[in-house]
Amino acid sequence: MVRPRYVFAEAWSIARSSPRQTAAAVTLIALALYVPGLLALLSRNLSRLSTVEAQPVAVVVTLQEQADAHALADRLTQDARVRQVRIVGSAAALERFRRAYPDLGAALSELREAPFPPSLEVLLRAGAPAKSASEIASAARLWPGVESAESGEDFERRFRDAVGLMRNAGIFLGVVLTLAAILTVASAVRLALDLHRDEVGIMRLMGATESAIRAPFWLCATAEGLLGGGVALGLLYGTYRLAAHWLAKNPHPILSVFWVGFLSAPAALLLPAVGAAAGLTGSLLSLGKRHARRVTRIA
Amino acid sequence: MIQLFSVSKKYGAFREALVDVTFRVAPGEFVFLTGPSGAGKSTLLRLLFLEEPPTSGQILVNGRNIGVLPHSQVPYLRRTMGVVFQDFRLIGRKTVFENISFVQNVLGLPRAEQKRRAYHVLKRVGLHHQMNAYPDELSGGEQQRVAIARAIVNEPTVLLADEPTGNLDPVLAEEIMRLFVEINIRGTTVVVATHDLEMIRRMGKRALTLERGRLHDPDRIREVAPIVREAPFLPQA
Repeated sequence: MVRPRYVFAEAWSIARSSPRQTAAAVTLIALALYVPGLLALLSRNLSRLSTVEAQPVAVVVTLQEQADAHALADRLTQDARVRQVRIVGSAAALERFRRAYPDLGAALSELREAPFPPSLEVLLRAGAPAKSASEIASAARLWPGVESAESGEDFERRFRDAVGLMRNAGIFLGVVLTLAAILTVASAVRLALDLHRDEVGIMRLMGATESAIRAPFWLCATAEGLLGGGVALGLLYGTYRLAAHWLAKNPHPILSVFWVGFLSAPAALLLPAVGAAAGLTGSLLSLGKRHARRVTRIA
Repeated sequence: MIQLFSVSKKYGAFREALVDVTFRVAPGEFVFLTGPSGAGKSTLLRLLFLEEPPTSGQILVNGRNIGVLPHSQVPYLRRTMGVVFQDFRLIGRKTVFENISFVQNVLGLPRAEQKRRAYHVLKRVGLHHQMNAYPDELSGGEQQRVAIARAIVNEPTVLLADEPTGNLDPVLAEEIMRLFVEINIRGTTVVVATHDLEMIRRMGKRALTLERGRLHDPDRIREVAPIVREAPFLPQA
């Protein structure tokens, strides 16, 4: 049984003996985890937009101020394809926005006029033909009192596709870059072991067991991975805060709306955890039996 | 006790480093292993220290057949042996104390006990005032004495030394050999590989000569023994 105190002391000594290499390993792991982390952050915030309204709205009919919302809603409900029409007044739209984006609510409260015009939201029946939404929107545009009518059908689909694509790209890049991080750590550990090759040989000759020789390298690599994940998390939070700060000063019609939340705590803690796992896996790969035998001979 | 029975070591198909070597070293004996460069001295020590397995034959160390020793048991056997090399092989990032107490540290010996033992062995080699120095702060002779202290700190039954004075001037070489004799007097079996025949003559100990991997007729070595007995190399108090 190897003493934990010895393992920690040796791991620290190994990390200190080659600081540049340790820094390079931590940096590479941090970069490898930062990129998928950033995509996860983008994906999470974009997903908020698509999930603000759980029930998909097929058509949004924006009304003129003087329009009779109830009459227009009755007219819409006469269409057999329409399941429900919701009347959303200016105040209701503002309230809904405040609930969805509490961080931006304070900014909107300073406005004297309601920023959102009244509108009708049209929900279709299940099984409605594919182009129903665009046909209803085209017809509604010709009615008096209607400012505009937009079918959300295409946008909704494209938006969901884009978010899905980003999420999948994040997962794919996450897997690829994590594998890269594992290989990076494996190489770094192998290099460290080669740098300490003579020492390892001496330790063996003095009667050190394999676990006593390897455990400090395992711990060192795991700590490097953990640190790299921590650095990636810090960089990600820094990016988020920087972007939020920039958007607060330079409001953007789209970015300001969706850039409102950081990763959830479990997702954020996943970065250091994946980093540590990558470090440990890399060191286990690099300290396999084949390499162990290679460093056995010191003559 | 060390015993070799028809031990051979081949590298590849044709290079024979050792051929049919058989000898016995009694417990507490001091033996030189000599021969020209490439004769197989270092190879023989590597076999004794389980760095390499023999191609054929059997090796017994302290009554154990090390050829059939499970790999997991090798570290434990090594702890009963000490080894000293020509190039000292100290760990540069560790202090003298840390170099010496490495195995005890792994084993979890209390630090106070580690220090006590390290101080004790360093005093024996005259370096107790250098416990916190790093190897590169020491002279070659001092580094070799640290290596000897490291080799004997676990009180080994067998001490193997591969050209331990090869990098040292004659005065330092004599100091080191004096230490080996002291260690031997305390009961440790000592095997020293060297090609310094003058040293062997002055020491008056049994010598095994290797030539091209074969053990030479031991009687040729014995003939120098009477000369040595007239001027024995005695350890200083």
